[in-house]
Amino acid sequence: MSRPDRREASQLRALNCSLGQLNRADGSAQFSAGNTSVVSGIYGPVEAKVYEEKLDRAVVEVKFRPDIGAPTTKDKWMESAIRNTFEREILAHLHPRTLVQIVIQLREGDGSVDSAAINATSLALVDAGIPLKCMITAATCAVLPDDTTVVDPTQEEIDAARSTHTFAFASGSSTGPLYVDSRGDFTMDEYNHCYELCALATERVLAFMRTAIEGKVTKEAKISAA
Amino acid sequence: MVAEIGPSNIESAFLLEALKRGTRVDGRGIYDYRTLKISCGPTYGLAEVQLGQTRVLARVSCEVTRPFPDRPTEGIVLFNTELSSMAGFGLDSSRASTQEVAISRMVERVIKQSRAIDSEALCILAGEKVWTIRIDVHFLDHGGNLIDAASIAAIAALKHFRRPDVTIDGEEAIIHDVRERNPVPLSIHHTPICVTFGFFGASGDMLVLDPTLLEEQVQVSSFTITLNSHREICALNKAGGIPLSPDQIQRCTQVALAKVDEVNEKIQLALKASTA
Repeated sequence: MSRPDRREASQLRALNCSLGQLNRADGSAQFSAGNTSVVSGIYGPVEAKVYEEKLDRAVVEVKFRPDIGAPTTKDKWMESAIRNTFEREILAHLHPRTLVQIVIQLREGDGSVDSAAINATSLALVDAGIPLKCMITAATCAVLPDDTTVVDPTQEEIDAARSTHTFAFASGSSTGPLYVDSRGDFTMDEYNHCYELCALATERVLAFMRTAIEGKVTKEAKISAA
Repeated sequence: MVAEIGPSNIESAFLLEALKRGTRVDGRGIYDYRTLKISCGPTYGLAEVQLGQTRVLARVSCEVTRPFPDRPTEGIVLFNTELSSMAGFGLDSSRASTQEVAISRMVERVIKQSRAIDSEALCILAGEKVWTIRIDVHFLDHGGNLIDAASIAAIAALKHFRRPDVTIDGEEAIIHDVRERNPVPLSIHHTPICVTFGFFGASGDMLVLDPTLLEEQVQVSSFTITLNSHREICALNKAGGIPLSPDQIQRCTQVALAKVDEVNEKIQLALKASTA
């Protein structure tokens, strides 16, 4: 069964990213997969309010803004999901009593928004120089009614799917995923199959991120050497 | 690391001294815009504007709803301009200062009250179904002069947007899927563009066009004029600050007329580039 945009089942959409486009934010990244585009801006480590600061570590705050309309409970869910994913991977003990504020703006939504948001935030944290244990990459899978599993589904495919699964993995780690979001009607076999496909997809996303960051670092090295 | 505490005395003094000699801190002439980049698409109704270090994103969407009971033949235009925390640390739409609220309201008024969008053309079935056009303006980077950037982004997004085509068959309306029939553009009467000036000095005798963030923090007065390509004044806004003379207003209007033509050309080029 062919996909509407003629991709293979395990093929990701064209990935695109740009780092450090925002001036006020300490770090920023725009990540897009096909027509899904997310901008992530990081402020940190900055002064935390006295009532929310932690004495031995940095506090992580996430704000997610949808492309259309005011934020709803779905966006609040996304905020807490992303905060939980990154809270333990940021080396917060290096910056006690400070705040790391992650602001995510959805530009265009065409499926797999949560994985794009996680990927954009990972890149933005690197751009901001926030110390991390590892890179976090995410990918989404959908099981369609005809039992095929497709990677990086568009909104059309998600609307038709029986179940969707998003996995986020820590780079270079052999332990399980940092973030899992599975919705719909599925069997354990389907879940395991999606797990494997997402693990492969996140490796490709990681390679893409590495190229992007290497490009930025070499460019900056040239500028400072000149 | 610390929250914004405003410009230092040295910075303000330097800015004013430079202005007295006719130059601006970033080397521009007093009537020069910063580099303006407009990009539209790929999604219909998405426009991103970069004006110097200021970056604004506008997104237009539509929905079929019931009309207001007192306006059964008119569509509805909704605005949402929140100053997000991404634009600057400490900015939060829930605790917005009066200035920030003024910026949001200004963009909204410019588009809605100048009747730029033809709301009668948004009617599908009188009294029952109309199009609600929703414009979301997201401020991504606050580098000064948010109003101008936001008005350009909103107008570009509106002109770029396509709504589904509708056929009326007596009492029934058929809304065509975008894959069946090409979506149609909105009916826009005219394109209002805001041009903002900042005034400096004890009597407001020094002025600049398109102030940067530092210039905005130092200015003693601000004035925004909204013009369209038909050389009509859509809105004038001078809220507070030191008094200005009618001659200064006149001077600003003349400068703004030329600038609006340039901006409109840029918008046209961006729209053409996105459909190429």
